[in-house]
Amino acid sequence: MRIQDTIRRSGRSLRSAKLRTVLTSLAIAVGGFTLTITLAAGNGIREYTDRLVTSNFDSSELIVGRDKEVSNTGAPSTEPKEYDESVTSMAIGGDGSSLQIKQVTPEDITELKSLPYIEEVRENYQLAARYITREGQKRFTLSATAYNPAQKPELAAGTLPKTGDIADNQVMLPEGYVKALGFKSDKDALGKKISINIQKPFVDGGGEQVLAAIRNGVDPRTLQPESQMRTFTIAAITKKAATSINFGTLPVLVSTNDAKQMYDYTTEGTPSYDKYTYVYVRVKDGEKQASIDAAQADLKAKKYFTMSSKEIQQSITQIVNILQALVGVFGLITVIASVFGIVNTQYISVLERIREIGLMKALGMRKRDLRRLFMLEAGWIGFLGGAIGSAGALLVGIPLNPWITKKLDLGEGNSLLIFRPSQIAALIVGLMIVAILAGYLPARKAAKMDPIEALRTE
Amino acid sequence: MIEVANITKTYGKKDSAFTALDDISLSIKDGATVAIIGKSGSGKSTLMHIMSGLDTPSDGHVTVDGTVLQQMKPKQIDAFRAEQMSFIFQAFFVEGNQTCYQNVMLPLEIAEVRGRDRKQRVMDALAAVDLSEKANSRARNLSGGQKQRLAIARAIVNRPKLIFADEPTGNLDSATGDKIIDLLFSINKTLGSTLVIVTHDDELAARCKIQVRLKDGKIDSLVTKPTRKTVARAKK
Ligand SMILES: Nc1ncnc2c1ncn2[C@@H]1O[C@H](COP(=O)(O)OP(=O)(O)O)[C@@H](O)[C@H]1O
Ligand SMILES: [Mg+2]
Repeated sequence: MRIQDTIRRSGRSLRSAKLRTVLTSLAIAVGGFTLTITLAAGNGIREYTDRLVTSNFDSSELIVGRDKEVSNTGAPSTEPKEYDESVTSMAIGGDGSSLQIKQVTPEDITELKSLPYIEEVRENYQLAARYITREGQKRFTLSATAYNPAQKPELAAGTLPKTGDIADNQVMLPEGYVKALGFKSDKDALGKKISINIQKPFVDGGGEQVLAAIRNGVDPRTLQPESQMRTFTIAAITKKAATSINFGTLPVLVSTNDAKQMYDYTTEGTPSYDKYTYVYVRVKDGEKQASIDAAQADLKAKKYFTMSSKEIQQSITQIVNILQALVGVFGLITVIASVFGIVNTQYISVLERIREIGLMKALGMRKRDLRRLFMLEAGWIGFLGGAIGSAGALLVGIPLNPWITKKLDLGEGNSLLIFRPSQIAALIVGLMIVAILAGYLPARKAAKMDPIEALRTE
Repeated sequence: MIEVANITKTYGKKDSAFTALDDISLSIKDGATVAIIGKSGSGKSTLMHIMSGLDTPSDGHVTVDGTVLQQMKPKQIDAFRAEQMSFIFQAFFVEGNQTCYQNVMLPLEIAEVRGRDRKQRVMDALAAVDLSEKANSRARNLSGGQKQRLAIARAIVNRPKLIFADEPTGNLDSATGDKIIDLLFSINKTLGSTLVIVTHDDELAARCKIQVRLKDGKIDSLVTKPTRKTVARAKK
């Protein structure tokens, strides 16, 4: 029998047992649904993280540090790090563990700047400001950092500088502070002044200040380190971008100059003074992956730890892949379970159609053709299941998409579920192949059947 | 030309062995009509199955146009049956869920007949059994006689050299049965197909050129009616 005739005939016999066919294919449909959603969610998340990374990290820049932790993304390292006497900066990790971070020194920065393939080195100022306030208003905590032109924030009011840094003594204020600091609206806040308080660390190497206090009859416990109030003009109001990588409050953005002054002020006298956990390095011809790779290799040889935006992306993608695989396994289990349904249904179908099989054999139908006929029937069930499952996924997913986007706060233009026709087609073909394989045993039974037994009517 | 040479069919082993056919030999010329007669259980169907290559004999062989069926590969026998033989059964074996057209198309599909004239051949076969207007009706809605006519259309669509009919009127009333038999004989004339009919009906058997009577697996009597030519020659 020719293949097109076989396909037509197999489809026809399924149509004559509609209910059974549909019920059997529903089992596969569940698997098809799960897998379609999983694939779509994988696409969505990957695309979202892509955008997240490309809009937060300049692909021609590298993060460069002296400590292994710098290039350690994703899961924390399991190996304990040996204590290093020469490393002075000590921090307490979020989980209470001690972190010893070897910092980038001014000598390192000089070295980096001298490298031919490095165009620019930008320090990363992690500013420890105390509070932000305004005349007659309450004081609020904040995080502050230098404005990075490569990482353009989304604005609620005001404008971004066309090129380069924002002017000194200007800030970009996150939306949340507008009402808190008593402005009427975002527009109203523009051009107004706010103050940020920073504090010098308490450094009293020789104990001079404590001794002086005791001599003057002052309780040394009340000694306060020097602090400073800096006043800024509001240049713009920032809002949370769809692709913002900040999970907490948005930072107050200041110019690089201001950030440096504030950083120096807050670290003066401490081991962190003029040292940085990591710096941003712009690589020459960094749009080319080859330049980035070469730079990373060379920096590695010079005992720096680096991370490219591609690596950041990969580390996020890896987590996404693991999650996707986990959900995918559920879908696969459903598909495997449905295989038994197909085998069962097809066995019943073969037993019910002993006469028909006998007749076809008597008329000279070859074993191979009979086997193919029944395997294709199973294939149709797989096709139907795949089609129902992915159609269901589309019907549920497409209307739900805007709602999910809103709930997860993904921001306009981002969808969690991205359906790709090619993937859905491949999935349906895959399910058909699984179903065809599942149909093999019943089909073999049909092909092996003795026509004489089947045709006896007594 | 079909030659059946010393066919024996035994079921079971040693002690419980049962001989369904015992040393059957006969020779059938192309275009002949053959009746295989005998009581139920006498081995009629078994003989027919062996002659068509569906069943294998325990001993002996069947030669069709010089080819020994028992020496053919299964694939070749299948092709042989698909192209040169067809069957009509007591219980019709038409597919109720399919239309008459689809039922008749089956042998052409199995024989991998190509081309546009497939459709015409199906319609011609349906016309030959007077079922043209039922082409698109489901076979389950037909009466018994119509079903058997449909089975005949399916049997002749391939223009086979050999038609086997196993008690084709067994499930029909006598009036309908007679029409079916008339139809089979007219096909034998128009297509020239050899017709092998298994039956208990002596009247029907009498119309056939060769009458093989089986009893307990043995040939009880083998009658070959003289042709008109031989009759004429004998009279001279
Ligand atoms: N597979 C089998 N095993 C054992 N005995 C069988 C088998 N098939 C047929 N027979 C026996 O062979 C004999 C001939 O059967 P069959 O050719 O069907 O007779 P008929 O068609 O003349 O009624 C019967 O007695 C039947 O019981
Ligand atoms: Mg019989």
